[in-house]
Amino acid sequence: MSASTQLVLLGVNHKTAPIELREQLAIPAHRLAEATSQLLARPGIREAMILSTCNRVEILTTQDTAADTVDFLNQYLAIDPQLLRPHVYEYREQEAVRHLFRVASSLDSMVVGEPQILGQVKESYTVARSVGAVHSQLEKLLQCAFATAKKVRTETQIGSSSVSIASVAVDLAQKIFGSLEGKTVFLVGAGKMSELAARHLMQQGAGSILVANRTHDRALRIAESFHGKAILFEDLYSVADQADIIITSTGAPHAIFRPEHGQRFLQRRRNRPMFFIDIAVPRDVDPRMNELEGIFVYDIDDLQSVTASHMAERSREAEHAESIVTAEVERFQQRLQTLDVVPAIVGIQQSAEEIRQAELLRAHSRLQTLTPAQLAAVEAVTRGMMNKFLHMPLQALKTAAREGDAAKVEAICAVFEGGACAAHSVEAEAAAVKGTEAEKAGESRSDHEQVVAGRIEPEAGA
Amino acid sequence: MFLLWLRVAAALYGLASLAALPAVLYGRKRWVKICVGAAIGGAFFHFVSLAEMLNASHHWIPAGMHEVQSLLALLIVLAFLLIALRYRTVSFGMFALPLALVLVLVPAIGPDKYTFTSPLIRNGWVMLHVAAVLAAYAGLIFSMLASLLYLLQERRIKSKRPASRLLPWLPPLETMDQIAHRTLLIGFHAMTIGLLSGCLIAQASMGSAYFHDPKVILSFGMWLLFVVLLIIRRSQGLRGRRAVYLSTLVFLVMISVWAANQFSSFHRFTTP
Repeated sequence: MSASTQLVLLGVNHKTAPIELREQLAIPAHRLAEATSQLLARPGIREAMILSTCNRVEILTTQDTAADTVDFLNQYLAIDPQLLRPHVYEYREQEAVRHLFRVASSLDSMVVGEPQILGQVKESYTVARSVGAVHSQLEKLLQCAFATAKKVRTETQIGSSSVSIASVAVDLAQKIFGSLEGKTVFLVGAGKMSELAARHLMQQGAGSILVANRTHDRALRIAESFHGKAILFEDLYSVADQADIIITSTGAPHAIFRPEHGQRFLQRRRNRPMFFIDIAVPRDVDPRMNELEGIFVYDIDDLQSVTASHMAERSREAEHAESIVTAEVERFQQRLQTLDVVPAIVGIQQSAEEIRQAELLRAHSRLQTLTPAQLAAVEAVTRGMMNKFLHMPLQALKTAAREGDAAKVEAICAVFEGGACAAHSVEAEAAAVKGTEAEKAGESRSDHEQVVAGRIEPEAGA
Repeated sequence: MFLLWLRVAAALYGLASLAALPAVLYGRKRWVKICVGAAIGGAFFHFVSLAEMLNASHHWIPAGMHEVQSLLALLIVLAFLLIALRYRTVSFGMFALPLALVLVLVPAIGPDKYTFTSPLIRNGWVMLHVAAVLAAYAGLIFSMLASLLYLLQERRIKSKRPASRLLPWLPPLETMDQIAHRTLLIGFHAMTIGLLSGCLIAQASMGSAYFHDPKVILSFGMWLLFVVLLIIRRSQGLRGRRAVYLSTLVFLVMISVWAANQFSSFHRFTTP
């Protein structure tokens, strides 16, 4: 960022603030545009974006150093500053870039690797852009954040495995049946987790659901909520073979599905596979059922150990993702610094070109005798000399910018700023002596050459 | 020239076989693209080589050991590509591509020493017979591979380690079962057509003596095993371990039928 503006990111998230406070701070989607506009209207704020999810509220701004963004939160949400302050984190410049990249890449999420956060950041960006709060600096930064998040997704396996019991159950069912289209789910007993698993399976396309419970009324209620069919608990064994996936969570003190049942089911199903998800404790499905070819049994411990191994895998992948983010932050900073010297490079080139044009103008009368081809050759030679002369200092300028060597950048710029002044003076001089170029040309050219070459101080040519 | 194209095809099959390892074992997407791309390229050059080979020898059916091997390899690669396209899985490439490479390597090294010299090779029925029997072999090989992979995936899910880093791209059990069943069915139809066309040719040209040939007898045995396999599959829903056993049995019979050329008076590849 330029010297007068700063990139600032402040906010609260699930690590720094309790849910009660996050609830107060959350800005609903329909108010996001208005909130962003109000933030932008505050003195000192040049660009702004607000990210508000259930786990975080963050404000990203490019602003004058004096601007106070926390004050905006206090006023806009009418929250006591004393209550808010201890929970707020604030990052500036490179640290803000790093934090944003980590958030977009889902490395700062409660469940590392969850895919929703990138969509939420993009949504906030769209809103901020629509109210005119995103210009060149935030635009560049956010595009880099999206590219980094994409890189993390494609180059690591951070989001490839499920980390909740319900989604692990769905994954397993898909490994067995492929598509869940048309598959029948049988919910035996009722419980929050089993209903959640059933809901996940239905969302993935499972065709129909059967429900059996010792209390038939409860079975009817659950079946109704899933648009399924309630089965009498007594009919459990005669109906079970119709189901491809059985989720069981009864309070029975002993196994209700045993190998002899499994064999009977397989016979009736012509060995088509069956998947038992046993969430009950004590278990409803005899573990020996898993030994039958075509029957797959996962109890709550199995599901939890799969979930834990997925979490461990994500942690390993997160380390790789962190190194990608670090590299991308560095690259962004380098790009930013290189971009910072672009105006200086353009200025130096313009100055040199002006000197060249002025010198050609000064020599105009002496060059009149040349043919068009010879004039073109003079033009090419002078331009070539100018480019060759500028090549090394400009390369040095770019390298110094990339390496963050501010002193070197300033030194090179200072030398050429003199050159630029000299060029302007040459122009004025050339206009003044238009009639007597021949007499003064040699002396003047010699001076300008020295200025450009840095052998004399700019003042000498002015 | 056909040798050059065949060598290019062999090199591409080699690349595809190597690419299949990281693609299947570790699910690397870039390697999947390389594997499928190299297999498509290989199949193209293989087809060009086979067409040139047959054109150069002025017949349109494979009439030598090398030509037969080359055609079988091409059918296997085409089956692999069709399965990759239809079921979005390259798992079969791990076995099918090296097999195609091995089959193609010998013909790619030099000219054929063993050629079938009978004038019958110009007969269109023989062409149908050879192509159908080779398609049946390819179908059976894929059915067995699908059964093997089914068993592997089944064991993995039962071991409660479904997220193993090895073979993350193994297709779901039902997909594998469908592939095993469909390729077996295609193989069975091809075998039936191959046997019927063979019978017609033999009856017309050599009479009943032909049916005492060991290769013919084994081929009928293989066809019967195909029927048994299909019946059991349909009635019992044969899957997993038992499916692998039965497919392996039919595969062994297939190898015997292939090897029976050495004892067959009619199918022998005679030295020119």
